[in-house]
Amino acid sequence: MSSSSVEYHKKELPKKFQTIGLVLLLAGLVIVILGYIVNPERSAQNNIIGFSFLVSIAVGSLFFVAIEYLSGAVWSTPFRRVSEFLSSIIVILPLLAIPLLLNINSVFHWTHPEPTDKILVGKAPYLNVQFFIFRVIFFWLIWLVFYYFITKNSRRQDHSKDQFITTANVKLSAIFMPLFALTITFTAIDWLMSLAPHWFSTIFGVYYFSGTVLAALALSTIFIVALNERNYLVEGITSDSYYSLGALLFAFTNFWAYIAFSQFLLIWYANLPEETIWFLDRWNGSWKFFSIGLMIFHFLIPYIGLLSQPSKSNPKRLIFMAGVVLFAHYYDLFWLVMPNFYKEGIVFGWIELGFPIFISGLIISVFVFKTNRENLVPIGDPKLKRGIDFSL
Amino acid sequence: MSMIDYTRELSVLEGKPSLRELDELISKPLETKPNKKFYIALSITLSMMGLLVIGLGLTFYYGIGMWGNNVPVGWAFDIVNFVFWVGIGHAGTLISAILFLFRQKWRTGIARFAEGMTIFAVMTAGLFPLIHVGRPWLAGYLFPYPNQHSLWVNFTSPLLWDVFAVSTYFTVSLIFWYVGLIPDFATLREKTNHKFKKIIYSVFSLGWRFSNRHWQNYEMVYLILAGFATPLVLSVHTIVSFDFAVSIIPGWHTTIFPPYFVAGAVFSGFAMVQNVLIIIRKIFNYEHIITLDTLEKMNKVILLTGSMVGYGYAMEFFIAWYSGVEAESFTFLNRALGPYAWAYWIMITCNVVSPQLFWFKKIRRAIPVMFIIAVFINVGMWFERFVIIVTSLSRDFLPSSWAYYKPTLVDGMILIGSFGFFFTWILLFTKALPVVSMAEVKAVADGAQPSHKEHS
Amino acid sequence: MMSEKILYSYTGIFDTPNAVIHAAEQVSKEGFTKYDVNTPYPLHGMDKAMKLPPSKLGYVALVFGLAGTLGALLSLWWVSAIDYPIVIGGKPLFSFPAYIPVMFEVTVLSASIATVLAMLFIFFKFPNNSHPLHGTEYMKKVSSDKYGISIQAEDPKFDESLVRKLFESVHAKEINPLYWDNDEINHKNKIFEPKFLVFLLVIGIITSCTAYFTLNKLMFMLPFNWMMEQPKQNAQQRSLVFNDGFGMRQPVTGTVARGYLPYVFKGQPDLAGEKLVNPVPISKESLKLGQTKFDIYCSPCHGYHAEGDSRLRGQYPNPPSLHSEKVRKWSDGRIFAVLTDGQNVMPSYSSQLTLDERWAVINYVRALQRALNAKESDLQ
Repeated sequence: MSSSSVEYHKKELPKKFQTIGLVLLLAGLVIVILGYIVNPERSAQNNIIGFSFLVSIAVGSLFFVAIEYLSGAVWSTPFRRVSEFLSSIIVILPLLAIPLLLNINSVFHWTHPEPTDKILVGKAPYLNVQFFIFRVIFFWLIWLVFYYFITKNSRRQDHSKDQFITTANVKLSAIFMPLFALTITFTAIDWLMSLAPHWFSTIFGVYYFSGTVLAALALSTIFIVALNERNYLVEGITSDSYYSLGALLFAFTNFWAYIAFSQFLLIWYANLPEETIWFLDRWNGSWKFFSIGLMIFHFLIPYIGLLSQPSKSNPKRLIFMAGVVLFAHYYDLFWLVMPNFYKEGIVFGWIELGFPIFISGLIISVFVFKTNRENLVPIGDPKLKRGIDFSL
Repeated sequence: MSMIDYTRELSVLEGKPSLRELDELISKPLETKPNKKFYIALSITLSMMGLLVIGLGLTFYYGIGMWGNNVPVGWAFDIVNFVFWVGIGHAGTLISAILFLFRQKWRTGIARFAEGMTIFAVMTAGLFPLIHVGRPWLAGYLFPYPNQHSLWVNFTSPLLWDVFAVSTYFTVSLIFWYVGLIPDFATLREKTNHKFKKIIYSVFSLGWRFSNRHWQNYEMVYLILAGFATPLVLSVHTIVSFDFAVSIIPGWHTTIFPPYFVAGAVFSGFAMVQNVLIIIRKIFNYEHIITLDTLEKMNKVILLTGSMVGYGYAMEFFIAWYSGVEAESFTFLNRALGPYAWAYWIMITCNVVSPQLFWFKKIRRAIPVMFIIAVFINVGMWFERFVIIVTSLSRDFLPSSWAYYKPTLVDGMILIGSFGFFFTWILLFTKALPVVSMAEVKAVADGAQPSHKEHS
Repeated sequence: MMSEKILYSYTGIFDTPNAVIHAAEQVSKEGFTKYDVNTPYPLHGMDKAMKLPPSKLGYVALVFGLAGTLGALLSLWWVSAIDYPIVIGGKPLFSFPAYIPVMFEVTVLSASIATVLAMLFIFFKFPNNSHPLHGTEYMKKVSSDKYGISIQAEDPKFDESLVRKLFESVHAKEINPLYWDNDEINHKNKIFEPKFLVFLLVIGIITSCTAYFTLNKLMFMLPFNWMMEQPKQNAQQRSLVFNDGFGMRQPVTGTVARGYLPYVFKGQPDLAGEKLVNPVPISKESLKLGQTKFDIYCSPCHGYHAEGDSRLRGQYPNPPSLHSEKVRKWSDGRIFAVLTDGQNVMPSYSSQLTLDERWAVINYVRALQRALNAKESDLQ
């Protein structure tokens, strides 16, 4: 245990990040509030995108923390704090859920089904407002509890350097895994699939999961590479660790494409009207180009960009591709949500800009806030030394 | 509970064996004459294979009518067995390719064996579509080639995708396996004094001389093959699932089929690898190479994939209700409560409930218990395919055509015979080739790699 | 040549991976190029120590993978949309999503095979199988648990004492010269070696003979021909089931098959002209059908416009024009009688044209007649 003598000097992030974060946060907030005043319905629709995106980032990051403990991976240990910081967004998730729940009638058709609509009436035991709100709160509490205990343990280890804490977190992560799978699935069904309440697809939870993981990984990658290049983390991390990040990003890009293609092919092939209508909505008018764009941004660009071995460990390329992937996830959510409401074609205006700005401000602010209070590296983690020495 | 030291990497091999000891241990079965036990085992598997020969003979002589298949259940044991055996193969590629990409060192002890199992399982699986077409000697027509009839195959059919997927899978697995064997052949070539063996090993080692200039390209090829085998293995069971899911039969047409079939395949494959490895490590004294830690890690994978399969069942059931499609919800209720409820509950008990025992560390490390659970899983996964195929077909859209499928004696003979076929290959493999990769195991032994501090 | 042993290389054996990596660094620093490090398994960091450029086999995989994807896409497109266009399951002829699985498999197959073959042919010098190092004590050791460096005598910098000193300076455990026989020296790439070519030829002959035998002989033997040799009644075959011995049966007496109304005016064309009424109304479809059939069966003699301008260049007597007063005044039934019974040298067309087709041809002939003898009123 004496080997955990890693040199780490905590550095504060430059003040300008805090300023940028605050400016974006406030600007976004102003646009969002204006949007809610001018067009509450459309703002609520955008709100769903924003909310699901933040869930992706927050819960996805917690998933990565848990996966590291479970798999016993060492290469990611020096980076784990980045994911931990991002997962702290879980705490402020209600901030984006509350305006939605107030406008629940304007986005969810199932809240007021016509009595003649037998299918929606049949779904009422699951799709009703009370149970929906209960689920939202219940899932949030699950995430919150695991976030609280896992990161608290991790922080405690900074001082105590106690190995039992790692064991405790491994156990917590093991319990978290099945709960994560279920909560993410039903979050996807509730917030995204039920926007088209007649439509159904058993793979939908997995589809959202693949996007979630990809978005969380991409954002972490951006922070990790940017911070490490400016020496905010520990000394001695080699490009092999970058390679692992790039390879994971590449793998999950393929996984997303695999899931998306499976869902599409099966529905396209069987050609049942109650299923194809969902894809037809996304192939109607200008949405067609939007759908093609999804394949390009979410698959083709990252796939080609990360295919070769050296590109996976090139920091600039890695940040760029992670940025593309992150953008693609927002794009993907836009593609999932908006065609349900605007069947004729793409809608895009200043209202659509509010949430992306607000969210980027929020993420930067939260990250700066956490960085200024805590160590950017889990200095007490017994795996840290091995993580720094990691080579392929 | 004992304290785990996270600061040091756990050794993959136990007892710090020297490199030469590893060589001796692994090549021992090849250098000794097979003993009585081997012949007893071989005679058992060969007699099981005899059943296969009889079953197939009857089938070819009298026709497919010898099976229980009939309207409306046109796919039954033949396709159940096909999917089952292809699934068994998936664990091998997962261990050799995916875990290789994840740099999981514990795979080295079991990779060669699991790859071998992949090849034999795919061979066994390949039998079934061939016999199901009725005239296997005309199977050449399945491949698109410019023939004298000016006919082309139907490229939009998932059954044709299967032809491509399974044959590609077999070829690539075989190449992968052989590439892994080259250094071991060379080691054996240098080791043996037997003239005939020396010639064989020389031919198969392709002039290998352990040169680092070769190792460099060799490792690259291995990485590329692993990179290709990983999506390939996903694609194979995905395409097998397409066989069902592109149709509109309730219980077959559901979008979660691809990932859920893949998870199920890995699940059953790991169980089969577990079963066979437990016996192999005992007989050949490989306890230090295939360690208890390795078995425990495999049990964790079994728990993970088993839970994924459970998730798939749950999702199907939930969406069947949620969809509001009458036929869909009926099918799932029919599975659980209809005439095949017995098969359904065998499947649930074996696949969903039994692997959950692996949450407990004690059970994960108890060899007899894990052996029994692995057998359960194999039974359960066979029944999963039975439930999917037979229950959906036996009660389709037209109640007037409903029927209860019963297998015949010939069906049973072919099923048992397929196990005989598979295990015969396994037995011959253990005596003909090193079942553990010598080069790979040596590379992960303690002190086998240069230490970091001295150069850098 | 004498069978004198010639120095091939100097070898040094090392006990630990660290030692051999250090030694390899020194050897490459000294400027040797024709040397090799032999280890029982790949050592991390050895490529760096030997200053080897990264392997280029990835490009082979990329090129052949892409070729596989595009090749598959092109051939699928050509097969399903051009050469053998059949609509299946209501899908478009070129249904791209359905081709992705096959394209993927072909990509993987071609890339994997090409990469491995590239390794075998370029680096292993397949089918070259022998090497001076084979069968030596040195190889025996490095194939199991020792690490070795072998510096070849071919190297321009090679000098016995210098190499020995170098090995000593890096603490090699054993230093040995390695010799090779004369007959081993001349080993170039043996791909054009007669033995290997003959081997390939034999394989080729065996494969083609087997293929020929399987496809042309075996498939016609018992039991493989059972699909052809079925216990069923073929046309024109003698039957043992019926008393009259005919395999093919007559229709039941007094029945009329659909579309085959019997013609009762045989030899009485005028009566037919009186009694028969054209049941096929004039429509675009019937005229189109009539035109097709007319162009096929009638136009060779009557000409495309029924003017009697035969295309047979006098090899057959020219028929009269159908625009004559006589034919224009004939009723449809009268023409029908000609088509059905024949007239003069014109034979019956009843076996070529069904009833409806005959009426359609008549409709078309009427249209031709009217076109050549248009009235004022037709202009409106």
